This record gives sequence, C-alpha cells and structure tokens, in this order.
Amino acid sequence: MEKPSLLPLLDARLPLNEEKVAEAARLAGVPLAQAWGVVRYYPRYRGLPQGRLLVDDPVARARGFARLLEEADGTHPPLGLEALSPVYVRLEGGERHVEHGGSLVPFHRFRLPFSLGHGERLLPPEPILDLEAYQRMGGLAGLEGLLKGRLSPDGLIQAVEEAGLLGRGGAAFPTHIKMRAVAQGEPPRYLVVNADESEPGNFKDRFLLEHHPFLVLEGALLAALAIGASRIFLYVRDEFEAAMRGLEKAIAELEEAGRLPVPTEVFRSGGLYICGEETALLESMEGKRAEPRLKPPFPVEKGLWGRPTLVQNVETLASLPLLLREGPGAWRAREPKLFSISGDVERPGLYELPLGTPLEDALRKAGGEPGELRAVLLGGAAGVFTRDLSFPLRYRDRLPLGAGAIVAFGKGVDLWEVLLGLTEFFREESCGKCFPCPLGTAVQVEMVRRRERDRSLVQHLGQTLRGSLCGLGQSAYWAYQSLLEVEGAA
Amino acid sequence: MRLKVNGQEREAQEGTLLLDLVEVPTLCHHPHTETKGLCRLCLVEVGGRLVPACATEAQEGMEVRTDTEGLRALRRTLLEWLALATDLSQAPSLLELLEAHQGQPQRWGGLGLTRKEREPIRDNPFFLRDYAKCVNCRRCVDACGDGIMGVYALTLEDRGLLAHPTTPLDRPLPETPCVFCGNCIQVCPTGALRPLSMEV
Ligand code: SF4
Ligand code: SF4
Ligand code: SF4
Ligand code: FES
Repeated sequence: MEKPSLLPLLDARLPLNEEKVAEAARLAGVPLAQAWGVVRYYPRYRGLPQGRLLVDDPVARARGFARLLEEADGTHPPLGLEALSPVYVRLEGGERHVEHGGSLVPFHRFRLPFSLGHGERLLPPEPILDLEAYQRMGGLAGLEGLLKGRLSPDGLIQAVEEAGLLGRGGAAFPTHIKMRAVAQGEPPRYLVVNADESEPGNFKDRFLLEHHPFLVLEGALLAALAIGASRIFLYVRDEFEAAMRGLEKAIAELEEAGRLPVPTEVFRSGGLYICGEETALLESMEGKRAEPRLKPPFPVEKGLWGRPTLVQNVETLASLPLLLREGPGAWRAREPKLFSISGDVERPGLYELPLGTPLEDALRKAGGEPGELRAVLLGGAAGVFTRDLSFPLRYRDRLPLGAGAIVAFGKGVDLWEVLLGLTEFFREESCGKCFPCPLGTAVQVEMVRRRERDRSLVQHLGQTLRGSLCGLGQSAYWAYQSLLEVEGAA
Repeated sequence: MRLKVNGQEREAQEGTLLLDLVEVPTLCHHPHTETKGLCRLCLVEVGGRLVPACATEAQEGMEVRTDTEGLRALRRTLLEWLALATDLSQAPSLLELLEAHQGQPQRWGGLGLTRKEREPIRDNPFFLRDYAKCVNCRRCVDACGDGIMGVYALTLEDRGLLAHPTTPLDRPLPETPCVFCGNCIQVCPTGALRPLSMEV
C-alpha cells in the first residue's frame, strides 16, 4: 500500500546528515538500511560536484572536448542543451545556473530558448503558458468531450488505436495496448508521466514541458480518464526546474478553473539516466534505488505500489489532444513526430516532421548540408552512427529511431571522440544491478580508448551486453558497432 | 505440459523454473534468498529472446535453447570480465567455470575500474568483509533483509561497477542491527564474506 515516499522526505532535508537520513527513514516507515542505500545511490544525496561544469554531450565532444574542458572544473551529464552546446553549468551551494552565450540563467528560469522549427506542424511554434491562451487555440476540447460524455473512455482508447500511435519514448510500443491493459486491471490504477528525458541528443520532452505544459497536462488527464486512473504523477527530471514550476503553476490554474478531474502532482526525479527506465522510475517513486525490475510482471499489471500503472512518455501524451482534434484518420496519415536536431546544421532545434521523412530532408530543414557530413548519430546514446541519409525516419525500420535524436557531424569531426563520450556516459550511468552492464560498459570504454577494431572482441562485447537486464546495457554497444560499420563503408 | 529443450521434447509441471530443466551455470540465484536474474550466467534463449533460467517459468510450447554460439560467447565473456574486475581467488567454482569455458581474461586488455584494490574490512570478531572479492550478487543483503533475517544490517553502496554491499550509515557491523547469525556468510558465493576462524 501507498506510503510516504522517501525521496521527497530526503529532498526536504538537504543538505543531509546522519540524523536527517534516520528521520526521513522513520517518516517513510522503511529500514535505515534502505534509506542509506538510497542516499549512497543518487548523486544529489551524495553531494554534487561543484563549480563550473562542462555539459558532456555528443556535440561538445565534437567541438574539441579536451580543450573546452580546460576551462571547466569538471563535467555534467547531458541536459538536453545539445542545440546550444557547448554549454556550462555552474553549481554553487544549492544554486544551479546554465551558462550559455555569456549569460548566466538560474535553472528555475531557464527554458530552451528557441521556438519550434519549420515543418508541417500541429504544435504551435511559440510557448503557451497560460490557460486562456491554451483554450484560445482550442485546448481542453478533448477533455471537455470526455467529461461531457461526447467521447467514452473506451472511445478514446479506440481513437488511439485507429491513429496507430506508438510510444514516443523510444520503445515504440503501441500505446492503446498499454492503455487497455491498465484499464482492465483492478483499481486503484495510476498514471505516471515519464518526464525524465536524459538521452544525449534529445530535448523534445524538455521542450514540451517547458513550452506547452497545458498540452502535456491535457494529454495526461485524457489518458488518466481513459484508463480510470485515480492519480497522476509527473515524474520530472531533477534538472528541469523551470518545467517543474511551470507544470505546478499550470496544475493550479486547471484546478482553480475546475478542470482537473484527476488529482495530479509533480514528482522530482532521482536525477539519473536510468530513472527514465520505467521500472527503475517506479522503484525511485517507491523510495528505493532506481534499479530496473525483472520483467514480467510488467507495470501495466504491477506498477507503482503493486498497482496497475500506465507509464507513458511526455510526447506520447501530448499527442492525445492533437490526435483528437485532427481525428485519428488524419493524424495517422501524417503521423507527426518531434525530432531534436543538433550538431553541424545551421538551425539546430526542434522539428515536427511526419514519420517516414527521409533523414536528409530532416537535416535540410534544419539547414544541414548532407553532402558535408561525415555521419549522423541517430537515436541518441542508445542509437547508431549512420551515413544512410536516405533512411526514412520510421519506427521498426532498419535503424533505431529511439526518441528522435538526430546529431549531425561534419567532415572534420573525430567520431571516435564522440563515441568515447557515449561509452563513458554508459559506464557512469550503469546502475550496477545486473552483471554484464557494469562490467561490459567499463571494458567498452577501454576498448574505445585504444580504438579497438578486433571483430571478434567487439562481437563478444555486443553478445554479452545484449544479455543485460535492461535497455541501458542492452543498447550500450550499438554506437560502437555502428561506428565500425560506418568506417568500413567510408 | 510439454516444451522443447534444445530440440528435444520434455514433460514438465506447470510453473517449474527453467533452471530445473536445463544445465546452465548460475551465480546470483540462491534457493534461500530472493536474488535472481542479476548475474545473467544462466541466460537461455526462448523464441530468440534471452531470459534468465532462474527467474523464468516453463510454459506450454516453449522452445528453449541453452547452447547457441551467442550464449557460449556470453558466458565465457562474462566470466572473463568477472575475473578481470574481481579477485576470484576464494571462489574455486567460478575459477573452474572460467576454465571450462576456456576463458582468457587478458584478451580484453586492461580495465580502468577494478574492484580488486578494496581493503578488507575487519570490524567484528566473527567475519571479514572483503569486497575486493565481491561480485555484487546481493545474496548477503537479501539474506540479512527481506530474504531470511529481516534484520537489515546490510544495504548497497554506489552504482555501476563499484556498487557493493555496505552497512547502514557505513557503521562497523557491531553498531548495526547485525546479530551475527552468519546467514550472509553462508550464502556468499565468492569468499567475500568469510569466517575469521578460517583466516591464517
Ligand atoms: S543493464 Fe545496466 S542499468 Fe540496466 S539493470 Fe543492468 S546494470 Fe542496471
Ligand atoms: S550476520 Fe549480521 S549481517 Fe550477516 S545476515 Fe546475520 S544479521 Fe545480517
Ligand atoms: S559479499 Fe558475497 S554475497 Fe554479498 S554481494 Fe558480495 S559476493 Fe554476493
Ligand atoms: S543465476 Fe540466473 S541470473 Fe544469476
């Protein structure tokens, strides 16, 4: 049964000492051992590195990382700032700032400073941050329809099925199947919005949360009503402070307007890449180390506190109001998807494009010159390097689309440097629960350092990582393997 | 109920663990603790997917493979990596497995991170905690907590390759709820926890 979660109790007591940890454990009703395991797991309880930190993302790696690092006190994991990269973060005491283009902006005020790029789009290009503006553009129509009975919960799930919506978090699982499975479970049921985006090269969810909080919330409310969820939790990446504040403000506005049919709250994430893995996310909400669970059982049957839970990505949910407005058929014909495009293109940023758009067209939209590129990293850290620019950006085709990250690298870029950054990222983010991943990601870093090209070694590395417990380890070698293929093709 | 193991028809009870039907090495699984599915040494292929035999129940019509080339490479590599990162000198069964799988840890070159440099912790008269030898199977943590004792004198420290057991607030064991029942030593597969009476 539901207990007060340990993480918010610890957060309220930062900076921690032994008494405060013991007090939080008591209030959460868990053994001190559990609380200590948690404190020794999450960076913010262990103590974050202080000073001026270079954000370590693939674009920074392509821009002479070693030279940039000379001006920094250390590195910071990717923050979805690839379109601006290189960027520094200043951490002093409890204060966090983004340092970019000569200005210093506190995290709680920092929103991605660009609008939606050119493209055929359903999403408004400029931010919509108050309820009135949202309603002016037709917002809340879907929710009204559901509340007034013009649309039934099952009708909504049917519309999602007709639209053919696939989860936008990377796994591309049919959304309606998950929704139906939860809707059929015993109540209470929960909806958890996975807003923990930390995949290098991706900033689409960050953009939606910061620029379109009402759209995200309407989507979450629609999904919650469709599955009969009694509560909504938005699990938001720890660093997205502006997004958290914006969401809290939007929730309050909806509540005041009497438009919040399901209790909704923001949950500050654990602040690690693995927290975005849906079962690790649930573990952290339950006050444990964010370590993936063995599946089955799947969250749709046994999720948060053992209850049927729909864990759904931000973009997937934000698609629901748009899908209802367009009509499932029209939506399906277009299948809009958000792509984060960064690196060696003229206008890095976020683009809404129909699935099936050839990669080279996507690059051109962002002002990229396909002929000038050495390769593209498609799908983020858990993605692949490719030179196949005719690839139609579609799920379950030859290459993994992931959450839609596209990072372009020009002719002068040393891709091995970029790869080294990705492999170090995996080594740092491995939770350490299963065996192949912490061992294999550590071995991999050393192999990439010495630019190992021995086929059988790389093959055995891949075969072994493939046996990892969760997607982090399972995909950790894709970029390496694909770089060797790109090299072979060059 | 019928299933196929390496192409051969087998009869099994509904709900039997695959582990009871196939010959595969294990490390993290222990019948007295709830640990399972972590080490991945017991992985088998079911319909092209890798599943841990210690945490997967037999089902009607399953086609299980235990000896594909990929699985052999996986077990060999995993054992090699364990030997690279961890001191296996007190884990004879793992060393035997390494040899049986023709493991050659050196083929991977060096490893930046290693567990081998950890100093043994002598904080009680009964046993030693020597985490240079620990593979982080968590059997001890589970035995002390949910699995057997319900005492919670052990928990986990850190992430990634450096993750390993510790005590609440990192206190010496006598200052924790530990009752020195010895269950954790009993379940430890690597000699990372061992009675002091066995030390010379
Ligand atoms: S694959 Fe890596 S991140 Fe996933 S459970 Fe295993 S150690 Fe943890
Ligand atoms: S000896 Fe102490 S640490 Fe080990 S299982 Fe018993 S109570 Fe737990
Ligand atoms: S000390 Fe032994 S039982 Fe405990 S995790 Fe390490 S190897 Fe496993
Ligand atoms: S024995 Fe099955 S995964 Fe460890």
